[in-house]
Amino acid sequence: MKIITGGVGKAHVADALKPLVRPEDEVVVGSDMQAGMALRNGTADYYLGTCHTGAGASLGVLVGLLGSARCHTFGRGVPSAEAVAAAVGSGAVALGFAIDQIDDVVPVVWGVLDAQR
Amino acid sequence: MGAAQGAINFQIWQSIVVMLVCGIGAVLAQQALAVFNDGVRPFLLDFIQGRTARPAMAAIAFGLSAGFIFGLGAPMALATTVLNPWLLFLPVEILGLLAPRKWIAAIAGVAWGAVCSFGLVGATQVASLLPVDFLGSLQSMSGPILWLFALFPVIAITRQFGKMWGAISFGAELLVVLFIVKAAEWWGWSVFAPSVAMALGVVMLIVLALVKDHREKRAGNLVTSAEDEAVMDELFGPNAARLRKNIVWFMALGTGVAMVAASGIFGGGEATSFLIAKGDFAGAAALDAVRVLGFVPLIVTTALASGAYAMAGITIVYPIGYLIATLNLPVPATLGLAAVAGAAVFGAEILGVAAIGRWLGRWPSLRDSSDHIRNGITESLGLAILIGSLMAANTMGGGMGMLIVGGLYLLNEAMGKPVVRMAAGPAAVIVAGILLNLMTWVGLFTPIAAG
Repeated sequence: MKIITGGVGKAHVADALKPLVRPEDEVVVGSDMQAGMALRNGTADYYLGTCHTGAGASLGVLVGLLGSARCHTFGRGVPSAEAVAAAVGSGAVALGFAIDQIDDVVPVVWGVLDAQR
Repeated sequence: MGAAQGAINFQIWQSIVVMLVCGIGAVLAQQALAVFNDGVRPFLLDFIQGRTARPAMAAIAFGLSAGFIFGLGAPMALATTVLNPWLLFLPVEILGLLAPRKWIAAIAGVAWGAVCSFGLVGATQVASLLPVDFLGSLQSMSGPILWLFALFPVIAITRQFGKMWGAISFGAELLVVLFIVKAAEWWGWSVFAPSVAMALGVVMLIVLALVKDHREKRAGNLVTSAEDEAVMDELFGPNAARLRKNIVWFMALGTGVAMVAASGIFGGGEATSFLIAKGDFAGAAALDAVRVLGFVPLIVTTALASGAYAMAGITIVYPIGYLIATLNLPVPATLGLAAVAGAAVFGAEILGVAAIGRWLGRWPSLRDSSDHIRNGITESLGLAILIGSLMAANTMGGGMGMLIVGGLYLLNEAMGKPVVRMAAGPAAVIVAGILLNLMTWVGLFTPIAAG
């Protein structure tokens, strides 16, 4: 599974994600533009974006490149595993959340992505 | 500390300028042409295309902005007695998005401008009469904010280019500060040392980014495919056209923002308000000019992706406005000059937005730096605001003050951060201030002398 992180807290998200993933998974610190292109042509599986609100800088370009149906924001909150599963199940591949919640959100999101493969 | 100067000098023409810019801002938000909150912009795409109703759109904007209005904008304004974009523009865009007609938006915006400009003066006057002067104590935040803000490039460099460059840039900034401080002693230089250090850090960051991309390009690792650019042109083209079609509105907005920045009662960046309050307009201009770099890619790409622009553009009008204020011209000349400059800058920004977006696409490390810059600002400012809040707590209530402020901050963390982390400290100081005044009133607390 290839995950691109982007937005304000991208380095922090990658740091939180790397201890969790399996050896064959790839975590790339990237940018929203690059991630949008990679998700369009299928060279990446998911994008995790972060900003102050969880919605704007994290997903702005992705909404333009992928359409709002494939983007989902958890806003400033910490979602439950069910909420993540529901978002991913309905086709969201670009997920946005707030930078001050990174440590709490990343394990929940990864748990769902890991279970779904 | 002359921070109270701002409020005392709040003259009627300054209030009129504030009301004017709020009115214009609301009219642009009403048409979904400009919003200040970068988080709101992506949602505007659905609103512009008619898939989101007006009340729902306003509710989204309120949800995304509330924490920044009450947690960042209001405490910052009370601490500095200077207005800021979070307090002015975030409510204005909510009112604008809510208003069914342009003229209603204009009236609501003007009304909010009046509430802010007259309310701030009233609030600071009332607070200074209280036994525990908690607004005065908020001024102790300015030290940590002004000095630690200068380190944001170091954090950005460390995150983007690793430990070694991080340590080098920290050392370099430290040397610069040392040199400037000594130069002030020896030769009477009057430059604000952290501003120079910060500028050096930002230059280092940009050079590192450009060198990296240049090397990658030469090695052939960095090929921007024509296909990618075609996709972007197709997606972003109509949005750029929408912005260009409304250029007159944007020039009107630029006029307002530049005038308010030139009025000496408004600070655009997180640390700028403290300098504006002291009357250091040149220092504020240096600070916000550097800060622009962190926001250009964000604002340009979200604008191209959504078809709505930012209330302050790429924020370069802020430093231009402050610089006009340093000229000490008569009021009509200051406002006239600012109006012309603001209209010109916004016009140029709108015409250039598509070209800037395409250019940034070819320099990925520079785009990358912009994310790290904003992260660096958040991290350095987060620490400064937290420490500043505890210092304010100590000034106003000693151990008891620190217990209440620190306790509220920790409680907010443990509760899952209902208040944005950066705003939790100042909000706690205000709550503690009210609490300590009530306790004094019932005889449970003795104010610390000379607060």
